[in-house]
Amino acid sequence: MAWHKSTSLAQAMRSLRLTPTLSKPKPSLSRTYATEAEAASVPAAAAPEINFEAFTQKPARIIPSSPSYFSGSPRFIDHVLQLESLQAKYASLPTVATSDAPRMAWFKLPQFRDYVGEPVPMKKYKSLLKILQRLNRIQPEIRPNEVQTTLSAFLRPGNPYAVETIPRTVDEHGRARGKGKRKESTAVVQLVEGEGEVLVNGKSLVEVFKRVHDRESALWALRCTQRLDKYNAWITVRGGGVTGQAEAITLALGRALLLHEPGLKPVLRKAGAITVDARRVERKKPGRVKARKMPTWVKR
Amino acid sequence: MASSWCWNCLSRLRPLSRALTAPSATPRISSAPFHSTAVQYAQPAKKKGGSLTVMKHRQSTSLRRKKKKVTERSRPPAVGERKALRKRIVLSNPNALEVEGMLDLSPETMVDSRLRGTVLGLPVPMIDRLRAVQAFKPKQGWSIFRRPGTVLRRDTIEMGRLFEQISGEGDNAQKGKVVKKIVTGMKGSGKTVHLLQAMTMAFLKNWAVVAIPDARDLVSGGTAYAAIEGSNPTQYVQPNATSALLSRTVDANRELLASLKVSQKHPNLKMLKPNSTLEDLAKLGFTDPAVSWAVFQALWTELTATAPAEGLEKNFQPRPPMLVTVDGLAHWMTESAYRSADYKLIHAHDLSFVNHFLSLLKDGDSLKNGGLLLYSTSSSNNPNPEGFKIALDRLAARRAGISPSSPEYPHLSAYSDADPRVLDLFQSAEKSLELQTLSGLTREETRGFMEYFARSGLLREIINDQWVSEKWSLSGGGVIGELEKLGRRVRGTVSASK
Repeated sequence: MAWHKSTSLAQAMRSLRLTPTLSKPKPSLSRTYATEAEAASVPAAAAPEINFEAFTQKPARIIPSSPSYFSGSPRFIDHVLQLESLQAKYASLPTVATSDAPRMAWFKLPQFRDYVGEPVPMKKYKSLLKILQRLNRIQPEIRPNEVQTTLSAFLRPGNPYAVETIPRTVDEHGRARGKGKRKESTAVVQLVEGEGEVLVNGKSLVEVFKRVHDRESALWALRCTQRLDKYNAWITVRGGGVTGQAEAITLALGRALLLHEPGLKPVLRKAGAITVDARRVERKKPGRVKARKMPTWVKR
Repeated sequence: MASSWCWNCLSRLRPLSRALTAPSATPRISSAPFHSTAVQYAQPAKKKGGSLTVMKHRQSTSLRRKKKKVTERSRPPAVGERKALRKRIVLSNPNALEVEGMLDLSPETMVDSRLRGTVLGLPVPMIDRLRAVQAFKPKQGWSIFRRPGTVLRRDTIEMGRLFEQISGEGDNAQKGKVVKKIVTGMKGSGKTVHLLQAMTMAFLKNWAVVAIPDARDLVSGGTAYAAIEGSNPTQYVQPNATSALLSRTVDANRELLASLKVSQKHPNLKMLKPNSTLEDLAKLGFTDPAVSWAVFQALWTELTATAPAEGLEKNFQPRPPMLVTVDGLAHWMTESAYRSADYKLIHAHDLSFVNHFLSLLKDGDSLKNGGLLLYSTSSSNNPNPEGFKIALDRLAARRAGISPSSPEYPHLSAYSDADPRVLDLFQSAEKSLELQTLSGLTREETRGFMEYFARSGLLREIINDQWVSEKWSLSGGGVIGELEKLGRRVRGTVSASK
């Protein structure tokens, strides 16, 4: 500090400012320690004065209210302890099977870390989740309020499981709509009952897919279930190449067919008509010619 | 060195011990006394260890083979041989099974709607004549069947009835009627085979057939051309192409032309003998290309004559109806590849040969004795001229009953570079010209067609309704070319549909 090592610069400063501002630390700047009893005569500016009269017993030193105060993650351990005590308290209550318990959207790990403000490891959070799930299995009818409120503190805001997905159905005109993607292509299929006529982007199937293989794979969902002569398909397909478009149509057609005949699901699944292939082109990396290919070795 | 003999008694002394003998200069062969080569000439011993352990550093470790130089053994095929192989038309395959009970196309069967969907064989006497007019094209798959046959589809039966009408037979005979049609359709929808069927029917009905198998040949700059002097705008004749057409026409219609006598006066054909047949007339043209265009015009006036000229009445016979076919019409709707004297591209309509056939499309009785004009487009070899596309759209719109004043009627776009000559041509032909669009086969026709494959031994499937409708869908709604691909495809042992 400036007053310990008086450099020439500091000396110059001092010569300029005649008031000895930096020459000596003020008594009010001296540090106070919370656990130490301090003389009442010293006026404390930073912390409020500790009233020793409030203590019922005068401890040798002040003990933090939480027993986990000195652990690395006191708030997390507090939560665990609270939940464990709840679990022990209501251990005798009847439970339901895991599948029957109400579905709860617990905090994800990063959200929980934000919530407690401590770096909680994955493994420990999982053990906490186990307790939560055990408490959640208590029969909903007789679940105590205390448990309910505690559990709701660990839920993500905006319950995602509250939104019920509306199952798609065939519309009033008898059209089933299915979407499918493959590589860069996206296909939308409108499937109606008919005689096996297919239009792709307003064109005949033959004009769009020159190869017989592509035609077969586009109509594979109908073909493997032997429904080729029972439906008409109106298809829009965009993006990608020929193979991608054909296989996007396969998926879209399979999904549309499922709306008409849900019983075909095992057949379609086995035939691979409704299995999503989520692979996309692997990105190119620096230092490589393509995604994986290394440049050729050149002798100096 | 001491001798081994004793100087006194000349007896052998004991052999000296080896230790005492001095080492000789040459090494001794100790181990192999019968070797003729000395040890020092032997190859140095190979290093131990396989090639795998010896690492190659800083060079590629992959196997490098020297490329063998391909020595030219045989001569390349002679000039034109490759093209002949490419253009070869094989109409029969002895390996294919003979289809039992296959009917021939005949004047009776071609209008029989009960036979719809069956494959009818082309009558054997017609095949040479069809070959002569080049009705068969190389890649139509004739070579996989025992004998050429075509499916009798709805359009075919309608055309058969048309032939009956124009010939003056049947219920509603309209002898002398001229029907002008442009045949379009998707790729593989059977346009060229439709023309082939028309030619067969024409031969069966004893019509005169004039066919241009490929319209592109006339405008691609492959044949000789010459300006007609004094024509304005300049017209051009193509003598070689004309004489080729004459010889094809004579080959195909020999009987008919030989039976008809010249009945008109041809003052510019001095070498024509009086009382000669039309065959003789046409032969003048293909022996001498220089007069071929004049001969062609003379032949045309003869074929379209309705009455004899004065003084030639005695040999006059009524002329038969005519069938005129052109394949690949779109090539005639642009500039040709020929150049004029000032090096400008000549429009296809300025070639008098082309113009002659195009003018037949115009309104009015271009074929005086009646007949059928079938001009088909091609979708695999199509220059796709803008004006022609619009003209065809307009034809289709008019057929659908859209009036030219309505907004749905196809109009030229603002910056369209459509050829005005093409538009004018179709404007002048709009009353009588029809557009026939060939679509796919129906399911029943598909079934008949696929059964033909099965009965020829090509297709080993049980043909039921479900199988047929599956193939119908896969072929884009019964497009016959695609059906043929599906029918001839050899399948693996495991059926995919199981």
